Amino acid sequence: MNTQDTSHIRNFSIVAHIDHGKSTISDRILELTHTVEERDMASQLLDSMDIERERGITIKSNAVRVMYEADDGDTYQFNLIDTPGHVDFTYEVSRSLAACEGAVLVVDATQGVEAQTVSNANLAMNANLDIVPAINKIDLPSAHPEEVKTEIEDELAIPADDAVCVSGKTGEGIHDLLEAIVYLVSPPKGDATAPLKALILDSYFDEYRGVVATVRIFDGAIKKGDQLTMMQAGQSFLVDGVGVKRPAEVLLDELTVGEVGFVVTGLKDPGAVRVGDTLTYRDRPCAEALPGYREAKPMVYTGIFPIDNKDYESLRDALEKLRVNDPSLVWSPETSVALGFGFRVGFLGLLHMEVVKERLEREFDLDLIATSPSVDYHVYKTDGEMICVRSPQDLPDVTRIDHIEEPYLKAKIIVPPAYTGAVMQLAIEHRAMMTDMIHLSEKSVEMRFDIPLAELILDFFDQLKSRTKGYASLDYEFADYRASELVKLDILLSGDEVDALSFIVHKDKAYPLARGLCDKLKEIIPRQQFEVPIQGAIGNKIIARSTVKAVRKDVLAKCYGGDISRKRKLLEKQKEGKKRMKAVGSVEVPQEAFLAILKVDE
Amino acid sequence: MSVSALYLHIPFCHAKCAYCDFDSCGLTGAALDGAIASYLPQLFERIDAFGRTGALDHIETVYVGGGTPSVLGRSLVDVVARVRTWCDPVEMTCEVNPESFDMPLAEGLARAGVTRISCGVQSLHDDELAEIGRLHTRATALEALRCARAAGFDVSCDLMCGLPGQTYESWLETLQGIIAEEPDHVSVYPLTLEAGTPLAQRAVRDGSLMPDEDLQADCMEAAERRLGRAGYARYEVASYARPGHACMHNQAYWTGRSYLGIGRSAAGMLSRSEATRYAALLPGLSEQLDASWDAARVRFVQLDDAAEHVAYELLTAREAAAEDLMLGMRRSCGVHASDIAHAAHVIGEDAVDEVARIACRRGLARWCDARLVPTEQGWLLGNELYGLMWDLADPA
Repeated sequence: MNTQDTSHIRNFSIVAHIDHGKSTISDRILELTHTVEERDMASQLLDSMDIERERGITIKSNAVRVMYEADDGDTYQFNLIDTPGHVDFTYEVSRSLAACEGAVLVVDATQGVEAQTVSNANLAMNANLDIVPAINKIDLPSAHPEEVKTEIEDELAIPADDAVCVSGKTGEGIHDLLEAIVYLVSPPKGDATAPLKALILDSYFDEYRGVVATVRIFDGAIKKGDQLTMMQAGQSFLVDGVGVKRPAEVLLDELTVGEVGFVVTGLKDPGAVRVGDTLTYRDRPCAEALPGYREAKPMVYTGIFPIDNKDYESLRDALEKLRVNDPSLVWSPETSVALGFGFRVGFLGLLHMEVVKERLEREFDLDLIATSPSVDYHVYKTDGEMICVRSPQDLPDVTRIDHIEEPYLKAKIIVPPAYTGAVMQLAIEHRAMMTDMIHLSEKSVEMRFDIPLAELILDFFDQLKSRTKGYASLDYEFADYRASELVKLDILLSGDEVDALSFIVHKDKAYPLARGLCDKLKEIIPRQQFEVPIQGAIGNKIIARSTVKAVRKDVLAKCYGGDISRKRKLLEKQKEGKKRMKAVGSVEVPQEAFLAILKVDE
Repeated sequence: MSVSALYLHIPFCHAKCAYCDFDSCGLTGAALDGAIASYLPQLFERIDAFGRTGALDHIETVYVGGGTPSVLGRSLVDVVARVRTWCDPVEMTCEVNPESFDMPLAEGLARAGVTRISCGVQSLHDDELAEIGRLHTRATALEALRCARAAGFDVSCDLMCGLPGQTYESWLETLQGIIAEEPDHVSVYPLTLEAGTPLAQRAVRDGSLMPDEDLQADCMEAAERRLGRAGYARYEVASYARPGHACMHNQAYWTGRSYLGIGRSAAGMLSRSEATRYAALLPGLSEQLDASWDAARVRFVQLDDAAEHVAYELLTAREAAAEDLMLGMRRSCGVHASDIAHAAHVIGEDAVDEVARIACRRGLARWCDARLVPTEQGWLLGNELYGLMWDLADPA
């Protein structure tokens, strides 16, 4: 019997609160292990999407193999999985952890333990991972690693004596971190000769090779030509190739037990491969599938419409392709009088929405309109039936509604004591109720709130950051549904209701919000040939109004010495600008108007 | 058809205005003399080169623009004389700025055969002039107009509305002051902030410098009323003239007639057959024409002093027809039904009819004596109207 030696494999994720420096540490590891030579280093190598690099955030997990020659003289295979830090993508983190034996928990030496440090540490502990604490950014003058060690022990109950002090920026301590991984993270277990059992932790669609799946092998091995079956989906395929990312793709003869790598499936249907499914041999299946992933539940829904209705089919195809590596994405068709045919798409949060919209526009070259985000309301009708309403348009007539329930979250905010007052104030403004307040240490307090999800998805997080000078950190999870007095706020342009601008809001907030929205729309909607009145209404009652004045002058009178080409180019530029607008009735409305709700300052 | 209009560009000024993004260098003294000494021989050479091919034989109008041609001083007379060796235009305009225009220059130009002076007055308020970086004052402007008049020229002056610090009242005063001088022709341009100009950069920091479009609209309407009462008829979106004094040269631009542009940054337009005839003087054009069998019209801009590099834009018959409609809508006489029928022949009857209908429905144009003419809205919202017409160029 061939027992593959897995003692020199270490599979680990790097987890942290957002901005604590995961991706920079990953970069240094790639550099120190000569996976990537210094001269080829692009900053944040593992963030391969343009959006990730531009925004400096990690959205997708990414698995890379590095070979590390340790101080004991042996060479170790590290499979490093970079994970997202933003709370919207907690789901991605738990997916990655299922493929690992260990986690490097990164804590910023200047910020200390923050809300998502706590949740990510809990995720790692619940997954029974070996945790390697690392204190990052020790090169900064304001670093206080000793205090952070105490915080890690007190607040996370993780022994921090062995915590490694590192600087992702200078590379200091990275060698120690790699040594700690060798000693603290357990090697994977498993049997190379047993029937294949491999977890699909990610996948993406490639025009030429079909679906490519990232897998972690728990038992068995995969090589080109194997006939495999996805246990949940029931579909089989012939393996077209296997390999690893270093971080460029390298093809291998075989992926074996304990390893992480990719499998080229050749499947041309983007929906065929489900993340969380178990791969096994078609002819010699394993006894039972891996537990897989709990399904990610969308929190926020928005309408996504192509500006040009001809792009409807392309939008659907694009959503299907994105879903391959973002299984949390769900959608259903939606029709709007103002915007035509589109989809109501569910997202994990607003950042997720922005990222998906941006990817759709860039990677699939679509011009899209996103409408006001909504949550999933439970509407109890007078006839006793309960319906889920995710779009303001679907709200039944007031006379047929008995009551409405909205989703509540349990939110956890960690903040220095000096800012508890500011957080309380913000909470009150957002209909939140404080349920608990725990003094974690002299310099941090954990405040717990019950807060309507609808309040949190608007500007809560930005407000929290600005009112606490950036000190507060936030984490949340779904709690339950509670009855609320909600109304539908409609917006009328030139007297016509624009369904895509409607919004469900608590009745106490309807007036200020309507005023704010009318004012904001007045700023966003350009002046047109005719005056455009903007009105906010609940039912038939107008509660706010503003007016976009008619444009008086729009002419290039200058002669430019007969340079007519130049005049024409200016006209074409103006036309280009108009293409990004949607004609709603006779009014040209820019894309961003439909998300004006996010920009209303109260 | 032969080429009947010629434009010459003089890319120098004494100082560049804060709003200007034309090709012009602000120079004085020896630096200016040196630049002129290098530029003019190349300009002359190109005038002569076109002259020798016969391209200038039928020139009826010449326009020397800039920049500020009057910074050439006496050399401007030489430029005029050089052109005159090849042709005998009925209208020959020189652009001048008040600070560089005096009686001796006026008389010299008159003797050389210039018939018309276009003077960049812009405003009669010294503070408004200083704000946009003009070097003259109300007094020098009025003096320049009188010189031009005394030398026997047709006199035109350019005015601008929407200037920083300008009010409706100060605009009316400028208009009044100009009308009192009885020029033959007045052009009224609303100020546009062009990207990259000093004024545009200042406006980023100080929003009050942004031209107020409502005020500009009021000013344009007031100009039409006041100038109209004083006997100046609007014949183009920005141009007003006493009877018989419309600028023939500028009308060539709006009516699809061919014109040559000589000098750095000068623009020209030729039909395909004319362009082929003069291709030896238009570097790189033959190749482009060979590659575009459907090009019917060529627009070009000379990119350097020596005319070694020229940028071309080739237009199909359809694009040329759409362009003619677009330009026609700048004129008070609009486009005659027969010209619209001609355009419809090239573009397609349904598309042209539809656009004319939309323009009328949106109140931008109307039918009047078998001509489609711009309305009051059509003047102020010209870009809407021109955009509709130019969209006809796109077959999709």
